[in-house]
Amino acid sequence: MVYEFRYLAPKSKAKLCAMLLEHAQDGKLLAGGTDLLPNIRNGVFRLKYVIDLKQLPGAASLKYSQQDGLILGPAVTINDVLRNRTARRLYPVLCDCAHELASHQIRNRATVAGNVANASPCSDMAPALLCLGATAVIRSATGQRTIPFTQFFAGVKKTVMLPGEFLEHIIIPPAASPAAGRYLKLKRIAGHDLGIVGVLGTLQDGKRRFAVSSAAPTPVLVENVAAGDDESTVVKKVLAAVSPISDVRSSKEYREHMIGVFVQRLLQEVQ
Amino acid sequence: MKIKVTVNGQLYERDVLEHKTLLRFLREDLGLTGTKEGCGMGECGACTVFFNGKVMNSCMILAVEADGATIDTIEGESRGPSLTDIQKAMEKNNSVQCGFCTPGMVMSIKELLQNKAKPSIPEIKEAIEGNFCRCTGYVQIIEAVLDVTGRSKEKGELKHV
Repeated sequence: MVYEFRYLAPKSKAKLCAMLLEHAQDGKLLAGGTDLLPNIRNGVFRLKYVIDLKQLPGAASLKYSQQDGLILGPAVTINDVLRNRTARRLYPVLCDCAHELASHQIRNRATVAGNVANASPCSDMAPALLCLGATAVIRSATGQRTIPFTQFFAGVKKTVMLPGEFLEHIIIPPAASPAAGRYLKLKRIAGHDLGIVGVLGTLQDGKRRFAVSSAAPTPVLVENVAAGDDESTVVKKVLAAVSPISDVRSSKEYREHMIGVFVQRLLQEVQ
Repeated sequence: MKIKVTVNGQLYERDVLEHKTLLRFLREDLGLTGTKEGCGMGECGACTVFFNGKVMNSCMILAVEADGATIDTIEGESRGPSLTDIQKAMEKNNSVQCGFCTPGMVMSIKELLQNKAKPSIPEIKEAIEGNFCRCTGYVQIIEAVLDVTGRSKEKGELKHV
């Protein structure tokens, strides 16, 4: 790397929380590192400490129970999810989003928790977690709190997590029948790339949901779509909820247009 | 920080700088320069190595994170003058021009073939989507994978031999 920093790898959650609090200004949490390390290299972050969470007991555990649903530890990688039979069978929407994320090598290293805790507007896992009603279990030195992902993102690269807190688990609730759905992601090339706009459309127990990435400062969930709405009403509702922005990757107008195209396609395809 | 890491079957114990990437550790500390640095930020895949049995970008892993890990690089592929089947197929199908992407490409193809004996063309494309090649246009690389998995000839898919 371009400058020196110290590497800390605490083996307990209490130690990790203490380190995160102590180094709130000059340290960052490391999970897969596929975002943190390029950012250090490019000088986006000037850090004195990198705090690795992968040595925590159970960090990479991926468990399912009928009562709680799917519980992901903070070091569960994207490909851990894709290789998991239960996840593929019961949460196909989660796997569809996971499959769209970056390249195979990165999916082997990048974590689900990191992808959302990083709070990038173009997070590919966020749409799935939003549509599936997932919750974030956040740990600090003083205890745990649980919040739905609809309240997790606070802005570009910002979450509601406070200094000294980290994303300990992601819980995706069980469902009587798996949500049907598809994630459409517009990018410049067919291979791996950051999204220009991504739309996930799901249908579960007659209820349609849409989640949009790469369009607004945070990933957005749209839940107010009614069963009787026609196509143009649905598109209007999604656009009203998302209000796309212009940036280096695309103009607002292009994003609005493509969200409309994707929403229409998803209304026809997801049955 | 002291680390113990098994690279291509050989155990190394080294004192490494905590901010050093696994890629630079392999190249500078162990002298294994087969693994390349292209972009240094996970875009190009030239630095692809096996980390505990799965391919990853070694430019985005710290050497200290590899403490206790098993790493396999392109140097572990050929013993002496002999090449592996993947390497032979790449040579035969003209899949190598400048060669800079090849070490990473071989790693990605190796993981693909460990999981799938006869991958389809879309599966091959997906496996190497994180490996940029600016010379071949990928066609010859895909043909090499078809060749090494024993199909293609009867289908007339090897156009560059």
